[in-house]
Amino acid sequence: MKKYLAVFKINLLNSLAYPAELVTRSAMILLFMWVFFQLWHITFAAAGSDTINRLTLRDTMWYLLLAETLELGRPRLARVVSEQVKDGSIAYLLNKPYNFLLYQLSSGLGESLPRMGMLFILGGALVWVMAGPPPDLVNWPLALVALAGAWLLHFCVNSLIGLSAFTVEEVAPFEWIYQKLVFILGGMLIPLDFYPAWLQTIARSLPFAYMMYGPARLFVLPDMQLFIQILTGQLFWFAILGGLLLLVFSRGMKRLAINGG
Amino acid sequence: MRELKFLIALWKTNLAAAMEYRAAFISQSIGMVLNDAVYFAVWIIFFNRFPSISGWQLTDMFLVFGISASAFGLAGLLFGNAFNMGDIIVSGRLDYYLSLPRLTLLHVLASRVIPSSFGDFLYGFISYFASGQFSLVGLGRFILSVALATTVFVAFLVLVQSLAFWLGTGGVFTNMAINAMITFAIYPITLFNQTAKVILFLVVPAAFMGAVPAGFVKNFSWSTLGLMLLGAAGFLALAILIFYAGLRRYGSGSAIQTEV
Repeated sequence: MKKYLAVFKINLLNSLAYPAELVTRSAMILLFMWVFFQLWHITFAAAGSDTINRLTLRDTMWYLLLAETLELGRPRLARVVSEQVKDGSIAYLLNKPYNFLLYQLSSGLGESLPRMGMLFILGGALVWVMAGPPPDLVNWPLALVALAGAWLLHFCVNSLIGLSAFTVEEVAPFEWIYQKLVFILGGMLIPLDFYPAWLQTIARSLPFAYMMYGPARLFVLPDMQLFIQILTGQLFWFAILGGLLLLVFSRGMKRLAINGG
Repeated sequence: MRELKFLIALWKTNLAAAMEYRAAFISQSIGMVLNDAVYFAVWIIFFNRFPSISGWQLTDMFLVFGISASAFGLAGLLFGNAFNMGDIIVSGRLDYYLSLPRLTLLHVLASRVIPSSFGDFLYGFISYFASGQFSLVGLGRFILSVALATTVFVAFLVLVQSLAFWLGTGGVFTNMAINAMITFAIYPITLFNQTAKVILFLVVPAAFMGAVPAGFVKNFSWSTLGLMLLGAAGFLALAILIFYAGLRRYGSGSAIQTEV
């Protein structure tokens, strides 16, 4: 465990080493949140109501902020892992005394946390000014637990896509489509509450809703029943995707051919 | 004419090189078409729930998305290095182009093809056909709009990437510029106030990549065509001017590098 903590710390410090770059990279969220505000501000005005399916404009903006923070802040592990597989540098990670997947998890988390923090601070400041203060602090713990679960699910899918480089030439299309499925079925650009009922049912029966909608919705309108439902869903999908990841990794190891180095 | 022949020869070579990895080219192109289609579904869901936003409807989104996607794709297919010219400048890889007797900017830009761009280019046309606005004359206007939108987009990328001559870094700004351009281009322009619209015409010229050409495809007007031509010519001239101004500051360590 200590070695993974060390990997986490190294990547955390690495991400914090260039604060100006961290801020500049995170500044992109300002643009997105500003555009979202323009869209939803006019949409709520056009709807002629303060709430749409129980969400106010303020709720919608904080929902979108959390979703964007997760999307922009999660590490691009699929690309990293697939490059390691394709250029053979995976060999240098496999012969070290640690588990490859736990290494990726620790390094990804170390890279991700400062970025997510900065995204939330910058975007949050703008949303606060435009739409109003954040949800009550009592809402945050439930959302944070769900956020951790969502991050883990993203880690599993990203690693699976990266490891698919063992069998396919190019993994980028999988990554694009996965990202767009999260956009739609995860409710990243539009809260799932605004979807037609049939599409909500489909979305809630797939893992994407637990990767994005769950934590964002708990952040703005928390309730214990929803929390239990989301946590159960996350555990269910983590068991499936995590199991699949272990299977693909062990099969990939059997296929791996290292020629010198 | 000589430069045009060179450009065509370069594009043929790029295409041949891309087709060397045929499976990757095809899979990336199909992947990108699916990617764009799934992304657009967000707008279908949105306009299904809220049919009109300040007079903007789903049909308009099909056109805007179509032109933006095709222009983005065409830029990647014909001028792929526009997306990473900042890195080329910073790493001293302009040396290769400077040592050859061709127009440096044109040569750099056209020396790379991004295979997935074909998917974007293709999807733009699919989106146009799906808009319900199809006609042969309209298709002609769509193609012209894509060409002019591509010019503005590539010129804008050159402007942003040329900052690398002065700043010594390009990556962060390039990503921000591309994201800003795409984000603003594919959102209804009616969302933005007058100040924002001035920015969308003059600073981040997303209006020339989305709303203005979409309006032109929908209804022909000489004034819109004039505006598009002016935008394309203006941004292109500015991009060339800034690139060559920056080039005078360019220095490298004369590292031995190979361009493949």
